Amino acid sequence: MPTKNVLNYSYYPGCSLHASAKEYDESTQELFKILRIGLQEVPDWLCCGATPAHNVDELLSLSLCAKNLELADGVQGDLAVACAACFSRLKTAQHKLEENPEKRKQVEYALDAPLAMDKPVKHLLEILAKDYGLEQLGAAMRKSLSGLKVACYYGCLLTRPAEVPQLDCAEAPTIMERVIEAMGAETVKWSHRLECCGANFTLSRPGVVLQLSNEILASAQRAGADCIMVACPLCHANLDIRQKDIEAASGTRYNLPVLYMTQLLALGAGVSAKKLGFDSMMVSPLPLLKEKGLV
Amino acid sequence: MKNSKMTLSAETMNLDFVKKVEKLSDSSVRRCFQCGKCSAGCPMRTFMEHPPNRIVRLLQLGQYERVLAGRSIWYCASCETCSTRCPNKVDLAAIMDALRKCSWDAQGHSKESLVQLANRLFLDNIRTYGRQYEMRLAAAFNLHSGKLLKDFMLGPKLLTKGKLKMFHQKNKNLAEIEKIFRRIEELRKKGEAP
Repeated sequence: MPTKNVLNYSYYPGCSLHASAKEYDESTQELFKILRIGLQEVPDWLCCGATPAHNVDELLSLSLCAKNLELADGVQGDLAVACAACFSRLKTAQHKLEENPEKRKQVEYALDAPLAMDKPVKHLLEILAKDYGLEQLGAAMRKSLSGLKVACYYGCLLTRPAEVPQLDCAEAPTIMERVIEAMGAETVKWSHRLECCGANFTLSRPGVVLQLSNEILASAQRAGADCIMVACPLCHANLDIRQKDIEAASGTRYNLPVLYMTQLLALGAGVSAKKLGFDSMMVSPLPLLKEKGLV
Repeated sequence: MKNSKMTLSAETMNLDFVKKVEKLSDSSVRRCFQCGKCSAGCPMRTFMEHPPNRIVRLLQLGQYERVLAGRSIWYCASCETCSTRCPNKVDLAAIMDALRKCSWDAQGHSKESLVQLANRLFLDNIRTYGRQYEMRLAAAFNLHSGKLLKDFMLGPKLLTKGKLKMFHQKNKNLAEIEKIFRRIEELRKKGEAP
């Protein structure tokens, strides 16, 4: 007989989690299973439009997000979102359409239906730190991450702009540090945890990413971090998939593993390393995790 | 262009454009008093010919052609640092979106930059498949931009790590997605949406 869940959510993984960030999806499912938090994926969810939609067509961006919230309304529980960009877009749509009746009317016309936008949208961090609770998270620890020095990287969209995501303080957040410290890890103080990685220029202007992400890796290295922890697939792609290119362009060797927060938390909560997708990362974290006695 | 002289007169200043941008962005342009905080925190300023605070100043002076002609607006990463830090609550990230929309609407595909090309292919993907498929997006980008070998070495590595899917399913609600695109076009034809 399966044990009952302590919390239940509807789940919006976003496009990346079904492709380049599949280890973020896998580790989220594993972590939530072991914590007994239910996740039910929204059927037929669509792309939130991400940066390209709001960059040139706000109405389309708002409409795509409103459609997703309508679809999510059919599934029980607050909406859990893993990707920082999807999270930001969905929250922005709620915020804008609440404030601007004219835009709301246009989106209603586009969807040909009254809007169902009220479901609370929550990033996984918020669910873990606030709904589930840090104390509970600490109690779920089976293997302490002690001795692992983690640089928590927020990037842009988890906290900015101040009035939209409302996850933590926009300029000096600590939610990532608090969550991973609950699993016994040590966090480093570093300068670039809120700087932009170059985001979606990775496709059109990779030179931008090579420069900005290089500064982030250099800052984490200076602070003595063993690894970087992220909560966004695009940040991950830029820091991990492009790390070899960045090393070649800057002439610096980093070899810094970049891990999703759910991978580290799941490891601490006792999920087998085999289920957490460590093999699919470009900079393998396995030597580090072995050295620390974690795998 | 940086230091070129500007003659300001009723003929050379387009203040209607400021109002248009303010409406599109839900943000004031005129409230900016040029403290420069936005440019100080902008991670992309070194790639721009006009830093963010100068973009706002040019708008205030009705010089929208200078703003739209440059590459600055297309080098904004939408990191929201400027909007977060502005002491006058000028939502510069939203203003940048509005400016890109104006530029996007004004010029056809023939003059699009690589950034615009990537945006267009991304949106086409949503309309056709409902979701983003990175492999398809990257392949289409390389094909259309003529950079066939861009990231050539990365593809096979990502494939073997299971990060790129060769085959994928389409959403079941594609007709509903198409309807959203069509109805937005309808609204615009009727002049009821920007």
